[in-house]
Amino acid sequence: MKLAIILGVPVAMLATIASLGVVVVDVREGGPDGNRIVVPVPLVFAQVALALAPIAAPDHAMRVPEQALEHMDLAKEVLEALAAAPDGEYVRVEDHDELVVVAKEGRYFKVNVKNGTRENVSVNVPINLALQALPGRDGRIRTAALAGALSGVRFTNLVDVQDGKDHVRVWVW
Amino acid sequence: MKKTILAAAGLLGFAALCAAPINAQSGTPWLHVRVEEKKDTTKVSVNIPLSVVEAVLKASPEFFEKHGKIRIGNDHGLKLADMRKVWKELAAVGDAELVSVESDDENVKVMRKGDLVQVFVDNKRKAGKDGEKGGETVRVEVPTSLVDALLSGEGEEANVEAAIMELKKRRGDIVRVHDDDSHVRVWIDEQNTQVAAAAPSGK
Repeated sequence: MKLAIILGVPVAMLATIASLGVVVVDVREGGPDGNRIVVPVPLVFAQVALALAPIAAPDHAMRVPEQALEHMDLAKEVLEALAAAPDGEYVRVEDHDELVVVAKEGRYFKVNVKNGTRENVSVNVPINLALQALPGRDGRIRTAALAGALSGVRFTNLVDVQDGKDHVRVWVW
Repeated sequence: MKKTILAAAGLLGFAALCAAPINAQSGTPWLHVRVEEKKDTTKVSVNIPLSVVEAVLKASPEFFEKHGKIRIGNDHGLKLADMRKVWKELAAVGDAELVSVESDDENVKVMRKGDLVQVFVDNKRKAGKDGEKGGETVRVEVPTSLVDALLSGEGEEANVEAAIMELKKRRGDIVRVHDDDSHVRVWIDEQNTQVAAAAPSGK
């Protein structure tokens, strides 16, 4: 019975944390001696940190500069229009070996940069997360809203960078 | 009961038939820009739903003033009110060569042909030794309906809102620019990529 409790409590805690989501940073170095570093960060930790940021951080650090604030209405309108817009390939730039593609797929903006066969960068930007990252009318970054929006990006590959034999991947599980 | 079901099915079928053409016309219009550079083999494609273009223009107050009008003013010696008058008179004339300038360096022609305003610029400059570019040929075609819409404002204001409404209705080429180094095409259709229409039909 004692053993069951000793084993059961951490397993239950891990299961709870995992069920709330985990951000995983996976770095793989190429070559035979390449290291592999995997850092799992429970999403709930990031959410708590974001929610507590306004208390811990100085006020000016939580505010967007006045000059940038002027353009926030435009940014919001554009992001909202993009969120409502149909899916498609929005930008494609082909230059010799380089290819850049920006596409909208569902609730994500997908940016893909290829440089020959060596480099391949893929970034998925959740549109809702970008919207929540915009400050309010008072210029304050709404960290609580941002924390809430994080739970909406689960099961997403946020970043995938392949540079030669090195590979970096950030995803939310 | 059977009659009721048959009648309902018939009504549904009729409604679907009526709705079909409406759906076919109400596809989302996409604004496409294609730039191809001959020397660098660079190709740039931009595809944006017109709804997003409209949102950007509406949300940018310094560009898009109240009621969707841009004040152009006299900064470059250009009076929009005068342009409007000239355009109105030219519309009555129909197809015509509006401007023709011929000089040693450059020939410029502006023509109205059918539903297009065509601008031809032939620059005869010779290529310099310091890598200075030689002469170029530019061809621009703009639908007259777009000019009509832009000039439908009052005073020194261009009516961008009307221009966007016109663009929403329009399918096909808006602007084409050909010069010696590059080819630019701006057009509207209901496709979200340029795969089918990528090949520019040059002149």
